[in-house]
Amino acid sequence: MGKKNLVMNNPLRILGLEKKVKEDGASMGLVMSRAGLGKTAILVQIALDSMLWGDKVLHVSIGEGFDKTRVWYDDILRLMAAEEKSESFQTTVAEIMPNRMIMTFKESSFSQAKLEERLDDLVQQKIYKPVCLIIDGYDFQKGTHAALEEFKEFMVRHGLKRIWFSATTHREDKRESAIGVPAPCHDIDDLFDVVLMIAPKNEAIDLKILKCVSCTVDTGTTLMLNPSTMLIQKA
Amino acid sequence: MSVDLSNVRNIGISAHIDSGKTTLTERILFYTDRIHAIHDVRGKDGVGAKMDSMELERERGITIQSAATFCNWKGKDINIIDTPGHVDFTIEVERALRVLDGAVLVLCSVGGVQSQSITVNRQMTRYKVPRIAFINKCDRTGANPERVTAQLREKLGLNAHMVQMPIGLEIDLVGVVDLVTMKALYFEGDNGEIIREDEIPAALQERAQEKREELLEAVSMFSDELMEVMLEEGEINPELIRDAIRKGTLALELTPVFVGSAYKNKGVQPMLDGVNAYLPCPTDVENMALDLSEGEKEFAVTNNPDDPLIMLAFKLEDGRYGQLTYVRTYQGTVTKGDSVFNSRTGKKVKIGRLCRMHSDEMEDIDFCGSGDIVALFGVDCASGDTFCSGDISCSMSSMHIPEPVISLAITPVDNKAQINMSKALNRFTKEDPTFKTFVDHETNETIISGMGELHLEVYVERMKREYNAEVQVGAPQVAYRETITTRAEFNYTHKKQTGGSGQFGRVAGYMEPLEEGEYEFVDSIVGGSIPREFISSCDKGFQKSLVKGSLCGSAVTGVRCVINDGAFHAVDSSDVAFQLAAIGAFKEGYMKAKPVIMEPIMKVSVEGPTEFQGSIMGSINQRRGMIIGTMEEGNYTVVEADVPLSEMFGYSTTLRSLTQGKAEFTMEFSAFKQVPKLVNDELIKKYQSEKKNA
Repeated sequence: MGKKNLVMNNPLRILGLEKKVKEDGASMGLVMSRAGLGKTAILVQIALDSMLWGDKVLHVSIGEGFDKTRVWYDDILRLMAAEEKSESFQTTVAEIMPNRMIMTFKESSFSQAKLEERLDDLVQQKIYKPVCLIIDGYDFQKGTHAALEEFKEFMVRHGLKRIWFSATTHREDKRESAIGVPAPCHDIDDLFDVVLMIAPKNEAIDLKILKCVSCTVDTGTTLMLNPSTMLIQKA
Repeated sequence: MSVDLSNVRNIGISAHIDSGKTTLTERILFYTDRIHAIHDVRGKDGVGAKMDSMELERERGITIQSAATFCNWKGKDINIIDTPGHVDFTIEVERALRVLDGAVLVLCSVGGVQSQSITVNRQMTRYKVPRIAFINKCDRTGANPERVTAQLREKLGLNAHMVQMPIGLEIDLVGVVDLVTMKALYFEGDNGEIIREDEIPAALQERAQEKREELLEAVSMFSDELMEVMLEEGEINPELIRDAIRKGTLALELTPVFVGSAYKNKGVQPMLDGVNAYLPCPTDVENMALDLSEGEKEFAVTNNPDDPLIMLAFKLEDGRYGQLTYVRTYQGTVTKGDSVFNSRTGKKVKIGRLCRMHSDEMEDIDFCGSGDIVALFGVDCASGDTFCSGDISCSMSSMHIPEPVISLAITPVDNKAQINMSKALNRFTKEDPTFKTFVDHETNETIISGMGELHLEVYVERMKREYNAEVQVGAPQVAYRETITTRAEFNYTHKKQTGGSGQFGRVAGYMEPLEEGEYEFVDSIVGGSIPREFISSCDKGFQKSLVKGSLCGSAVTGVRCVINDGAFHAVDSSDVAFQLAAIGAFKEGYMKAKPVIMEPIMKVSVEGPTEFQGSIMGSINQRRGMIIGTMEEGNYTVVEADVPLSEMFGYSTTLRSLTQGKAEFTMEFSAFKQVPKLVNDELIKKYQSEKKNA
C-alpha cells in the first residue's frame, strides 16, 4: 500500500477535513466521550492523517505510557492497511514516522508552561517543529476558558496549524451547551472549530459531529466507529 | 527414575546492571546450603561472588557469561541461570529465557525501572516467561519500592502488586511484612539465616491493611473462590490467595512484587518461597518443537520422562573441564552412557558424562529427566542444536539471534599470539552466535564482529587472559551492508584463450531485490545452454560476489540472482570459468541495479534528570538520530530515539559531560536502513581511496 492509497483510505476523509489540512489558519478540535470508548483511536487517526499529508505531529499523552501510545499508532496503521502487502506498507510507515513525536507526561506534572518549554527545546535546536499538536488526556475539569484561550495564543506563537484535544465526559454530569457539547467542555465550545462526540448505541458506536466549521459533511451527520477496529466509517 | 516435575523450577535472574542480581544469587546459594560463606561482588576478601566465575567478571563487578547452578529450597529443585545485565550481552539473556520456565526480575529500589529493565522485560514477554519481581537494595538512601512498583506498571505495563512491604527503609530497613499471611518477618543471625515471625508493628498496621486490600482486589480476578470469600467478608485462607497469585502469574497477567536487600540479608528467603509458590514448573509451560519428519510441523512437547528424548543445547563452554554443553531436557530421560542423535547433523553422540553445574564447579549425576537443566561433556555440537533419541526427529524452535553490528580489526603481536588467537576465536564463535570472525583477504586482517563495543572489548580481554593472546586492536567499524533497489539484467561472457587451456562461460539473467532473506539463486535455464554440472558454479560465483560489494566493500544482502541463458564450450568450459563468468555477470548487473549502502540503526534510550532533556535531545539530533518520543517521570526523563550506530561511538563520554554524569543510555540493534546521500558518498570515497592505497 503506497502512501497515496493510505491517504485515500484515511477514515478522516469521511469527515472531509482534508480541506482543513491545506488551510493556513489555526484551528482547535475536540473529541469527547465517556472513558474507554476510543478517543485515543480517533486522535491517532487524525494524527496519521496529518502525517500522511507530510505535516509533523507532536502527540502529547498525559497519564499514559510511551509504549501504549506508540502501540495505538501501530495498530491503527495496520488496520488501515489490513488488506495490503506488508513490504510497501513498511516502506510507507518508515516514510511517515519521522513526522511523529510522542511526549508523555504524568498527570500531576503536565502544564501548558512545561509543554511550551519542551516545544521551545525542540524548535530552537531545530530538532522538530510540529504543525499539528495532539493533546490526549488534558484535564478539562481544571481547564478554564482563559486557559484554553491561552492555547490559542500558544498555537500562534509556535506556528501550529491544529491542536486536537480529547475530553472525558461523565454520565452523572448532565450539563451541556446550546449545540449539545457536554460537560466539562460545555462552556468553552466556542473555542473549538470541530467537536466530535463518541456515543455508544446498542451494538454500534456513533461518532456525532456536534460542531464543524470546515467539514464537508453537515453538522449533525452521524458517522460510526467500527467497534472491532475503532476506524471511522459512514453510518 | 521419574522425577515429580511439580517440584522442579527452572528460573532466570535478570535485570539492569548493578541492581544486585549476582549478590542475590550468592545469598540464594547460601540459604540453600550450596555455599557456606558469603563473598561480595566487589568484596574486600578478593574471592568475589560465586556466580561470577570468570576472573574478568570478578574484576569488573559485572556478570558477563551466565553460569548455571542448582539448589534445593524447601523440597523444590531449582535450576538458576544468572544472566548478564549489560545490553551487549543480551544473547545470554535471550538464551536463558528460551530454556527457562520462569524468571525473577531484579530491580534497584533507588534506580527503579531503568532502560535495560525495559529491554529485559521485552525479551521476557517475547518468550512468554512468567515473572516475579524483587525490589532489591531497600537499605539504600532514596529507596522507594512503591515508586518502583508503580514504574513496573507504567513503564513495563505489568500488573505488578506488592505481596510484601518493607519494615523501615534505607538505614532503618529491618524486615518485611508478608501481605498474604499478614505477619512481620525479621532476618536474624550473622547472615540473616534465622527468620523470626512476629506481629506487624503497630505503626504499620493500617498501611499494611491498605496494601493487603489492594493486593486482594487485584488477585481476586484470578480466583472465583477468593472473590466469593471476599464478598461474604469471610476469613481468607492464605493458600487461597497464593493460588490466585499463582494463577495470575502463570497467565502472565500478574507480577507479584517482593522487597528486600540481598546485601543486608533481608527478604531473600521469602522471595525463594515466592519462586516455589508462584513460578511455573516445567509442566505448567507449553514448549513447542518442530517435527522434522513431517515438514517441520509444530507440536507441543509432552514433558513425559517416558516419552522419546528431546533435549536442547543452549550454551557451550570450553573451560578447564573440556567442552561443556548446557542442555535443557523437554521430554524423555537421558542416562549416562546413552546414545542420542543430533537432529541438525544426524550424527549419533554418546553421553559420556552428565553433570549438574554449580557455577564453575560440578557434580556428576547418572541421569537427567524431563524439565532438567544439566551439562554434558565431550559432545561436539553448536549452540541451539537439538538432541533426540533415535525414534524421533525434531528440533526445538530456533532462537532469535541478532545480526552483529560492529566490528574490529585485530592483529596478533607475534606468532605465538597468532596461534592462541585462533584457538580463542574458535571457542568464542562456537559459544556465542552473535560473535563472528573472518579474515579480510584484502587487508589480511582478522575481523571480529559483535553486538557492541563492550561485547568486543570483553572478548579481546578474554583472549589475553585466558589464551595469552596479545592482540592490537583497530578502531571499531560499523558493519554496513549493501543491497540493490531495482531489477537489472546481466549477460557476461568470460573468455580466456591465451596460453595453456582456455576458459569459456557465458552467464545471462537478471538480479532483483529480495524482500526477505539475504540471497537466493534461481536456475531458470532451459535447453541446456549452461550444462547442469556448471549451474552450481554460477551459484558459487554469485555468492563470492556477495562477500564484498563494490560501493564500500561491505557484504551484499537481499539479492535474488536468476540465470536464464548462457553458453558453454565443449573443451574450455569449467567450474572455474563459470564461477568467473558469474562474478563478471554480478559486477555487470550490480551497478545497474542501483545499489545502496545500509547502516545499522540502534534503538537508543537515554534516561536522565529532566533539566537535561534539551541537551539530551540536542545530542541525539546532532548524531542523525530520530527522536521517537520523550517520557517525563517526575524529575526524570527518558528520551527514546533511533540513531545510526556509526554516530554512537564515544556517546557515553559526551552524555556524561552534558549531564554532569547524571544520565545513562542503553542501545540495541533495531534495523538496517539506507544511509543518507552525504554519508553514502563519503563511504564510497573512503573505500575508493583505501583500495587505491592498498
